[in-house]
Amino acid sequence: MAAGARTVSSTQGGARPRREREQELLVWPDLVFVEFIAAVVFTLAFIILSTILDAPLLNEANLDITPNPSKAAWYLASFQELLLHMHPALGGVIAPTFAIIILFMIPYIDRSNAGQGVWFGTPNAVKIALFSAAFASVFTVGLILYDAGRHVNVVTNVAQRVDKDWEWPGALAPFQNMRAIQTGWEWGVPVPKSAQLGPGEHDGVLNWPEDFSHVPMPFNGTSGPDWMRWDKPDSLPGWVQSLYWYDLNMNTPAFIVELFIPMAIMIGLPALLIFILRRLGWVETIRDGSIAIFTGMLVVYFILTIIASGFRGAGQDLVLPWDVPHID
Amino acid sequence: MAVSEQPRGPKLASWLYGKLFHNYIWRSIFRSGYPSTPRNQMLVVATNVFLHLHPTRIHKTHVRITHTYCLGGITFFFFLGLTVTGVMLMFYYVPSPERAFSDVAALETNIRFGMLMRNLHRWMAHGMVISVFLHMMRVFYTGSYKAPREFNWLVGVILLTLTLALSFTGYLLPWDQLSIWAVTVGMNMAGSVPLMGEQSRFILLGGFEVGDAALIRFYTLHVIGLPLLAAIFMAVHFWRIRRDGGLARPL
Repeated sequence: MAAGARTVSSTQGGARPRREREQELLVWPDLVFVEFIAAVVFTLAFIILSTILDAPLLNEANLDITPNPSKAAWYLASFQELLLHMHPALGGVIAPTFAIIILFMIPYIDRSNAGQGVWFGTPNAVKIALFSAAFASVFTVGLILYDAGRHVNVVTNVAQRVDKDWEWPGALAPFQNMRAIQTGWEWGVPVPKSAQLGPGEHDGVLNWPEDFSHVPMPFNGTSGPDWMRWDKPDSLPGWVQSLYWYDLNMNTPAFIVELFIPMAIMIGLPALLIFILRRLGWVETIRDGSIAIFTGMLVVYFILTIIASGFRGAGQDLVLPWDVPHID
Repeated sequence: MAVSEQPRGPKLASWLYGKLFHNYIWRSIFRSGYPSTPRNQMLVVATNVFLHLHPTRIHKTHVRITHTYCLGGITFFFFLGLTVTGVMLMFYYVPSPERAFSDVAALETNIRFGMLMRNLHRWMAHGMVISVFLHMMRVFYTGSYKAPREFNWLVGVILLTLTLALSFTGYLLPWDQLSIWAVTVGMNMAGSVPLMGEQSRFILLGGFEVGDAALIRFYTLHVIGLPLLAAIFMAVHFWRIRRDGGLARPL
């Protein structure tokens, strides 16, 4: 029975060959000895390290004094970095949860058992890993620099050598950083008076972002014709009420900046990576694809960790490591 | 049987060997003689509760250092080291906002080897997070999560999150500015959970901000709740390595 199940799961279509005795070693002494040496080296290394390097202890905890910047532990700093660029629920909860779920799913998506037990078991694995790492680093660093508006500084500096009065053109206002779509970009289109939808004054112009920042959600109970309006269901318990979007109005510019664009980037860039690798002909199996995605996720995590813990100064501004203020 | 296991050599050595490894007390503890013959070497692994996590024989590729870099084992060493140093730190630490900080500060000034214990605990905690990540990378890039080891990969991901949770709960305990603000930042992330953010934050902290309720919660989780959970999952993890046929190697 067990042998049959193994035969089915094997790609070679045959049962795993019985181990050759001469290929085997005794655990004692061959493995136990290696483990013992590793344990001794490990213990000595950490005792020496702990004699030289003292663990930090700052001033006593005080919620009235907020250190600037206050940072999460380094292994969570990457998610703190995400919070700077997107909605907190997306960066702090949904993205990490999906990262864990993707990790869980890897062996259930990549079901072939070929190429196990070998470093980079497919012909293109190393190339794919290196390309994915480069792709992820370039885009992560690029997007962070973009969101910090560094391209504006660079272009302005270069342009001002030619023309001293040059300024970032108004037509490119939404491209100063992500948030500029919401805050730095203003336009209006004339709208005929007959297009009056809701109550309130109609100034004849549809303005971005003001006129888009309070768009009622459908059936939110407070907008539309009379039959679509009802009182807040106060008789229901609070947790039930919190499940329904009563009086919820969407801030469209904020939605685009905080949720839509980040989600599009977090889904689109991995998809682009797989697309490029397939066009290059490097990705042949699901294993290749999972190497690309795993490497990309890992590198994004590392780069976000490095930037969040080494390059974020007061007010979470992007600064060089030696400009990060010392906190005590 | 006992005679054939004795090493050939001078009479004195044989006599000493017999006295040391064939006496009544040694036999009552170890059941087998000194592991100097293949038979005893297999028996010592099979009959010892700590060593029986191993099979008695393994494939020779498994002891090659580049096959695993010992990363899973090192992670387990970290866990053991953290348990030992953690128990010692518990002797001197009271988890209350009035005493926590001064207790930790006293490790440096009043307690012999207190600072060494704290340093070891701190650096090993960072080390464990790093080695868990490296171990995960090793398992991934060697394709060792593939059938029949899918479930053990899943257990491993759970252990990764438990390691992060252990490290995070321990971060608060020194009760200095670094810890309280790091935990405040982390908890504000928990507060942004859709639909039930405020509730989950309140449950984790036992209040609206990081205070005495949060400290005792984090302490209890850190010293007993999460280590117990991690130990259970580790037992499953190690058990499954053997059940799934040892380390992955080419089919």
